[in-house]
Formats: sequence, structure tokens, C-alpha cells
Amino acid sequence: MQGFDRQAAVRFENVEKSFGDVKVLRNFDLEVQPGEFVVLLGASGSGKTTALRILSGLEKPSGGQVYIDEENVTDVLPKYRDISMVFQSYALYPHKTVADNISFPLKVRGMAKSDMDAATLSAAKQVQIEDLLARYPRELSGGQRQRVALARAIIRQPSVFLMDEPLSNLDAKLRGHMRAQLKHMQKSMGITTIYVTHDQIEAMTLAHRVAILEKGVLQQLATPAEIYNNPANLFVAQFIGSPPMNVVHGSLNGGQFTTNGVAIQTSVTGQAVKAIMGVRPEDCSIASSTEGTLSGEIFTNELIGDHALVTVDWGNDQISVKAPKDFAGEQGDKVGVIIHRDSLFVFDESNGQRMR
Amino acid sequence: MSKTSYRFQKSQRTLMQQMFEAPAIGKMSPMAKILAYTLLGVWSFFVLFPIYWVVITSFKDMTTVNQGPFYIPFIDFQPTLEAWRSQFNEDPFCTVSAIGRQLWLLVYNSAVFVVSPVVALNPMEPQICKIYLAFTNSFVISIFSTGLCVLVGSMAAYALARIQYAPRFGNIMIFVLLLIIVIFATTYVGAPWWASSSVGLALFFFLLRALRGYFKMSLKNGDILFWIISQRILPPIVVVIPIYVMFQAVGMLDTHLALILLYAVANMPIVVWLMYDFFTNLPIELEESAQLDGATRLRVFWEIVLPLTRPGLAATTLLTLVLCWNEYLFAVFLATVKVQTMPIMVAAKNTGEKGILWWEMCAIIVVMIIPVIIMAILLTRFISKGVLMGAVKG
Repeated sequence: MQGFDRQAAVRFENVEKSFGDVKVLRNFDLEVQPGEFVVLLGASGSGKTTALRILSGLEKPSGGQVYIDEENVTDVLPKYRDISMVFQSYALYPHKTVADNISFPLKVRGMAKSDMDAATLSAAKQVQIEDLLARYPRELSGGQRQRVALARAIIRQPSVFLMDEPLSNLDAKLRGHMRAQLKHMQKSMGITTIYVTHDQIEAMTLAHRVAILEKGVLQQLATPAEIYNNPANLFVAQFIGSPPMNVVHGSLNGGQFTTNGVAIQTSVTGQAVKAIMGVRPEDCSIASSTEGTLSGEIFTNELIGDHALVTVDWGNDQISVKAPKDFAGEQGDKVGVIIHRDSLFVFDESNGQRMR
Repeated sequence: MSKTSYRFQKSQRTLMQQMFEAPAIGKMSPMAKILAYTLLGVWSFFVLFPIYWVVITSFKDMTTVNQGPFYIPFIDFQPTLEAWRSQFNEDPFCTVSAIGRQLWLLVYNSAVFVVSPVVALNPMEPQICKIYLAFTNSFVISIFSTGLCVLVGSMAAYALARIQYAPRFGNIMIFVLLLIIVIFATTYVGAPWWASSSVGLALFFFLLRALRGYFKMSLKNGDILFWIISQRILPPIVVVIPIYVMFQAVGMLDTHLALILLYAVANMPIVVWLMYDFFTNLPIELEESAQLDGATRLRVFWEIVLPLTRPGLAATTLLTLVLCWNEYLFAVFLATVKVQTMPIMVAAKNTGEKGILWWEMCAIIVVMIIPVIIMAILLTRFISKGVLMGAVKG
């Protein structure tokens, strides 16, 4: 596979977008390096697709500027931006064959037929659909349509590649397969890619950097490891990780987090009458009821496969623990939970910000 | 054995029960089938009988019609070709060679029309077979007005479906006001039309600039769409006299062009309304994708949108075509001699001294029905379902 000559940098500067009174994007700043794979992650309605559409030119921002390389493209028409996009619905042209679908971007550029056929074949080979070229989209399965959409997007070697939840219509097994293929393709072609998803696994596995959006505001932009190990606020902490992070309500005083009659020493300085302690299930472990940071009754014990997820009542809160798969505690048994102090996060309940 | 299990066996149920239950999900029960096909049969008879009646009446003569009703040819009555003869044979210009000559002239002239400054048009013969003339008039007028109407109407519908317009109400009022002033100045004050209209237009753009942002209330696409369809709310009879006067003023009475333009305008609301629905049902991602791929708006329309709305377009074309083909009111006002259409020929048969000539009327109607049937068969091939399958969603 050949690499791309032109890898563009992308920059959002203070971009705002509102539909009527609804602000879907506020003060959005994002810089994407040439050749980088950035994932915009967020729940539905977080503004991630809007950001992508603004970059593609299909939507005009209400404020702010968008740059591709050093060119201000805020008012440039989509067709001049040298961007290609894979839509969530694939948007294949149903009246054209697979080959005509893939070669459409070259056809509108007036490329010679022979060059076009060669390029179509090579693009189809990259996504392994070279034997489907004569078919129509209605004769293809979901995964095959997905590949046609991909081939159409890569055939003209754009400087930026946009994907709007491209895997969300596939079944779980195929999704995993396509994810690996996408990652391989992006890496070997080195093309600047911006990828929108609500699936944290996709975000963590694919991205060089993840941008997490919530209610139109960028929450954190960092590498997947950084986001996991060092969430900037409560939203990010709860959004990333499966099963989600445990959240315990309490107060923070002089580095001591107090909740349900237990005081836990943390490395955090500062005061908060209302604070939230977060700890991931994999950073806790089960002990006998006399040991551990806290003790409580088992609410339920679920065997996941390679581990068991044990939920323990703790005052008004519950805490989930990843236990070994042979853990045999029953509902109602009293157990202790050890919380590892180094992996504690504390958040200010009033604004959700991380306290360090 | 449980109490209900015997009902699994078909033989255990009464004939009545079997009549009212469907053999499988998605199939009709025997009783429902009988009912449905009976109703369909009755309806088919209801629809087809008038056509049959028209066809056999065209083979009757005065006595068989007046002593009638006779239903079955050769048994009830002896069919004659009298009505057909009076349409074709008794008109001295209705020989095969005369019609052939006319046809050739028509084809020649329409081909030469493109290069008409270089090659001279052959003059049409002044005396023409009446039914042939009416048929070609109807044909030419219907085809051209339908073509024009569908072309312009579908583009307008597409624009309304995809582009958000917000014309300020005040600006429209200014335009209307200036238009009235221009008309007044031209008609009563005697200003030359080119001077008054260019001054009016300049004034309009000047006021548009000067009052920019002054008007807040604006129309939306829905209002524009409603305005277009509202043109069809009043019956055409209301406007037919003003239209007559208008075409008289520009000297276009009794011309093909007048009827073509008028039919195109009169049917435009229907085309816009129907096509708007088809365009809004088209997934917008297809067009967005094509735009990102580098296609111009016109290319998106021709290469992506039009092929996908072909069924709707075919249905709309057929409807418009039939409306133009059958139109009587405008034709009777605007077409006096040269461009008389088929409906006028039909109507003329009940104003003779001998009373209503049903048999001749029916002969003309048969001639009139045939092209519509052919057109319907040709166009229904495009009216198929499932064109959009595979466009979106996995």
C-alpha cells in the first residue's frame, strides 16, 4: 500500500455552533497533527458529529475558524477541501455498481477511464472487495457496504479522512474485525484521520489521541492511556472504562476522604465539603470481612468470563470489584474490599473537576 | 391429551372455520380472497365498461345508437365503419399520402428548425386533414408543455427541498408595489416598457440595499410551497378571461407556444408538490457524500438525485401528460382555428344540426385514448419500487 503524499494538519479555533437556541458546540479548540488519528468520543448529542460536519464543510460554524494546514477553510465549499468522509449510513449510490460507486470521486474530476479502472481495482483490493465490483449495493451485506464506502473514501487520496461512526451498523464480531483493519490501513497509509464514535473501545483502540466531548464542550484531549490513567474530570472518569469507575460520595479534609464512617488517606491536598472518590473496579480487590479498607455485604456476584464482577454495598453507595473468576462469594456474604491508595481519584462534587 | 390440541388437525375444524382462517401468516383466508376478488372484479368492470362502450359505439351508425342500447357487435347490431369513414375518407385531405406528406413536413421542419437561419423551413400545407391536425396539435402541445413543466417544476421542488430560503416579507411587498407602479407607468402614463421596467428594477435593488435589515418577518420554504400550490386552489375558469386578454395583447392567440406555456404554468403546482415529496424522502447523505466527492450541485442533481427519483418523475410526467392531453377550457379560449386540440374536436360533435353525433365522437375518443395507453405502458416500467434499496443503513 502506498503512503499519502499530503498529510494535512487540522485546526479548530474557538468554533461555535448553534441550531436556533440550542448550542451544540461551544468554544471548541482542537489541533490535529499531520498523519494523526484522532477520535471524537461522546454520547449522542455531544456535538461530535457537528464538529466533523463543520470540518467537512457540510455545516457552517456560527463562530470561530477552521484551518486545514495553514489555510482558513471556514467559508470554503466542501468540494474544495480535499476531504473524504465515510457516513454512518455509508451513503452508497444505490443506482450505481460497486465499481461506479468507488470511482465516482475520480469521475467527477474527469479522470481517464483506464486510470480510473486501475485506481478502482487497487482501492477495492485494499478493502478486499475486488470480486464484488459488478454488484449493486442492494446485493451486498452490511460489512461489504461498509468496505465499499471505505474504498470510495480512500480512492482519491484525500488530505483528511473523516469517519462518522462507520462501524455502528455492523454486528459485534464484524465490528472488531473492521476496527483492526481500519487501524492497520490508517497506520500504513499515514493519513490524517478524524473519527467520530460513541464506543469507548473503538476510541481507545484506534486513536493516537482521544477528544472527549460532552454537551458541546471539549472535556479532555489526550492519549488513550492518559485519559484512562489521568481523567481530567468526573465525566471523563465515568465515561471511560468498562465496567465504569466506582463513585463514592463523601468529603475531603486535609487529604483525608471521609465516607460512611471510614477515612481514607489520599495524596490529594485541598478541602471540599462535598467530594467524590472514584476508583476503578480493577484497582480494588476482595479480602476477608475483617481486612480491607471497608467491609460490606455482597449485593451480587456476576461471572464475566476471565473475572467475576462483585458488587458490594457500602453505606448509600455501591462499589464494584474485579475479583478472580473462581471467587465464590454469595449474595449477602460479608466481605472486605481493599482500595489501592495510589489509584484513587478525587473530584469536587460542585463542578466535577479533578482535585490533585 | 390437552383440550385444545385437536384443533391442530385441519379435519377437526368446521368448514366455516376453515373458510375464515388464513392458511399461513401473510396469506388471505379463502373467504377474504373471494370477497377481495369479487370487489376487484366489480371495480374492473366499472372501469373498463365505458372504454368498451366507446369502442363499440364508434362502430355504430345513427339508427343503432338511437334504437339502442345494443351491447354486443354482430349479435345485437351490425357494426359499420361509417363513423370512421366520416373522420377520414370524407375529408378530402385525409388520404394516406396527404397525411404522409404532412408528417414528413413536420419531421423535416423540426429537424431543420435547429439550423433554420441557414436552411429554410418548408411551409406547411394550408389544407390539412382535421383529425390529423388536431392530433398533432394535441401531441406537440402535451409533450412540450409536460417536458417544460416537469423540468422546471422538479428543479424548483428540489431547490425547495434542499435549500432554506428566507425572503423578507417587506422586500416582497416592495417588489409588488414597484411592479404595480411600473405597469401603471407603462399603460397609462405611456412610458416605454424597457425604460419603466429597468428604472423599477434599479429602484428595487436600491431599496433592497437601503432597507437591509429593516424588515424582520420572513417567509419560509413552507410558505413558498403553499404559495405555489395555492395557484391551483381557484378553478381555472376564474383566470381564463384575463389570460385570454393577456395573450391577445401580445398577439399570441391561436399559437402552439401560448398553450404550451399556459399548460406548463397551470400544471407546475402539481409537479412541484409531488416532486417535493419525492425529493424530501431521498436520504440527504447521498447528496452530501457526492458534494464531498467533488460534484457540483447540478451534477448531484443530474447524476444522483434524478435517477433515484425516476419512479416519482415517471408518475408525475404521466399525470401531467394526461392533464395536458385532456385540457379543454384553456384550449377553447385560446385555440380558435390553427391549434385546435383533440378535446375540442370531441366537443364539436355535439353542436351540429343533427344533434349529438355519438358514433363520430366515439371514433375521435378512441383515437385520443390510444396514445395515452401507450404512454402509460412505457412509463409504468419506470414506476418500480425499491430503487433506494442499499443506499443507507446496513
